[in-house]
Amino acid sequence: MGQSAQPIKKRRGILGALALIAIAIGLYWGLVVAPPDAYQGEVQRIMYLHLPSILTAYLSYFLVFIGSGMYLWKREKRDDILAHSAAEIGVLFTALTIIEGSIWGRPTWGVWWTWDARLTLTAILLLIYTGYLMLRSLIEDESRAASAAAVLGIIGFLDIPLIHMSVYWWRTLHQPPSILQPNKPPWENVDPSMLIALTISFVGFLLLYFYLLSLRYRYGEMRYEIKARRLAQGS
Amino acid sequence: MTLVKQTALLLWKDLRLELRRRESLMTMFFFGTLLLFVFHFSFDLPPDRVAEMTPALLWLAFLFTGTLGLAQLFNAERENHCLDALLLSPLDRGALFLAKTGFNLVLMLLVEVVVIPLFWILFNLSSWNLLPQIFLVSLLGTVGFCSLGTLMAAITLRARARELLLPLILFPLMIPVILATIRCMENVLRVGEFGEAFAWLRLLLGFDVIFLTVGVLIFDHVIES
Amino acid sequence: MHLSTEKLAKAYGFLWALRDVCLDFEPGDLTALLGPNGAGKTTLLRLLAGLTGATAGTVRFDGAEFAPGSIELRHKIGFLAPADHLYEHLTAAENLRFFASLYGRPGDTAAIEDNLTAVNLAARGDEYVANLSSGLKCRLSIAKWRLLQPEFLLLDEPYGVLDGSGVDLLEDFLRAQCAHGGIVVIASHHIARALQLCTRAVILHQGRVTFDERKQQPWPSFDRAFGEFLPRGDS
Repeated sequence: MGQSAQPIKKRRGILGALALIAIAIGLYWGLVVAPPDAYQGEVQRIMYLHLPSILTAYLSYFLVFIGSGMYLWKREKRDDILAHSAAEIGVLFTALTIIEGSIWGRPTWGVWWTWDARLTLTAILLLIYTGYLMLRSLIEDESRAASAAAVLGIIGFLDIPLIHMSVYWWRTLHQPPSILQPNKPPWENVDPSMLIALTISFVGFLLLYFYLLSLRYRYGEMRYEIKARRLAQGS
Repeated sequence: MTLVKQTALLLWKDLRLELRRRESLMTMFFFGTLLLFVFHFSFDLPPDRVAEMTPALLWLAFLFTGTLGLAQLFNAERENHCLDALLLSPLDRGALFLAKTGFNLVLMLLVEVVVIPLFWILFNLSSWNLLPQIFLVSLLGTVGFCSLGTLMAAITLRARARELLLPLILFPLMIPVILATIRCMENVLRVGEFGEAFAWLRLLLGFDVIFLTVGVLIFDHVIES
Repeated sequence: MHLSTEKLAKAYGFLWALRDVCLDFEPGDLTALLGPNGAGKTTLLRLLAGLTGATAGTVRFDGAEFAPGSIELRHKIGFLAPADHLYEHLTAAENLRFFASLYGRPGDTAAIEDNLTAVNLAARGDEYVANLSSGLKCRLSIAKWRLLQPEFLLLDEPYGVLDGSGVDLLEDFLRAQCAHGGIVVIASHHIARALQLCTRAVILHQGRVTFDERKQQPWPSFDRAFGEFLPRGDS
């Protein structure tokens, strides 16, 4: 067991180091090199964290979907571990996104929270996948918990496009009179320096995500290993 | 035996049992009506504002009433390990999904048929001519609620804090339905016809079709002994 | 039809309920499944019925693997747990009709009455199951499986609730099933009756098969095997 774990640990360590470097560069670029936004000023810089966070969260939920589907199909433990790990890290990144969005919102709109489409969607995602984690923890039988969670993982992901559509329609059909437009995609006449910062940041977040995911995955593997050993020793 | 026949058989069994004991239907009726009263006291609305609030209040009432129905959905199978009896048999699990969804749907529709006119009476609404459209929207929304609700009820069957966990995981997933039905009804009440709310109606239909299909396909994995 | 298990094992949490169970059942076998409480009898029955999934090993019907997910062979399998698997608020006749339809068997009035008469319940056919005593519920279960004619019938402790005539009914029914080439496995604590009825005995002890032989008269090996876990000797 220890033999095969060593190269994986090393690779993970390199991944983590790369992530740190990429994020550091991205942050430097975003905070120092890139110019401030024409409309929003310095506070716009949080986008270098905010956008990668939410994109990584979506990636995570996609992995939950894949892991859940594979688990129901093949019933291999590794797919269950993947789904569970991706859900946890996804919730983490989603919570981060909301906090970052809130921090951005305060100076921009003067409020800590607003029910615009994006923030609302992110909050809903948080609710769904927190529910996923709660479901897992409240079912005692491990294999039943895995199946139940897998079903939720699939259904939750299938619902996301529908939730997107409904929330966006709702928000665009009933636009409150005085609103700033925070939803403009950042690549509309944007300084190339900002784009570079964003890209590096995104790469860094991706690397960080996979680093955390592999850590969490290993933890999940170890739990199963402990169970298997206890079982082997049991009368 | 085909899927349809098996579904009909199970649905017959549930309706027969419900007709005899009437626990689910009575509690749901009472709860739905009770909520109307509570809303009336909570929201002291002037007559011109009531129409605005109607869809939201109606749907809140149905959501909670429906959740009550979901909590009782598998009651018949809890006695004498009858769920084992069904799983033992050559029953297509998709038929079980459709039957339970259908059963909750029947119960909710019966409640809605009474509660909606009751709402119009209690809140002194005059738009009686719009009831057919209101019923249609309600029907589509209820189908969505029942299909997703049956799935969630089944996966939480053996969970701790089941009654709390079910709404917790169901409601966020229901947001498209909640938004669609309420916005659709609002438009109908305001303009007198569907008009631009047709898009919401299509969303509802899409939701229903997707999750009914997913439910039938995925129910083997949902319900295990 | 041939039923076999290969190294069947089941664990609940950290405890093994069954280990290394290898059994073969031939048509006509009436097997008594014996053993102390907690030996794993009910677990084994549930695995054979496909109500629970095995932790390791397989159950095979005519060579084909059988698991909780398999639907095709289920019309051939019956499980009789004395007062279970009957809807309390349907009448006796309605229960039979329901299950007949479910299993694709003739559920006409004549067939129902015929089977109710065979277990002396014809007079109570229109009573709710909730109003029947457990002994009568067990008889209704017998009527049910008589109607459904499974090739493979499992029984979990039926003797406990039956009176004298009920026992006779049950045993006549089981003997008839085996005479027609069916397989019967009956788990019981009523050693004397089970031994008289069976053609083969299997003893389970702490999740393992410790004895598996066809009946002989006299049966010293059985007395020895059984005496091992019954400190005061056999009944």
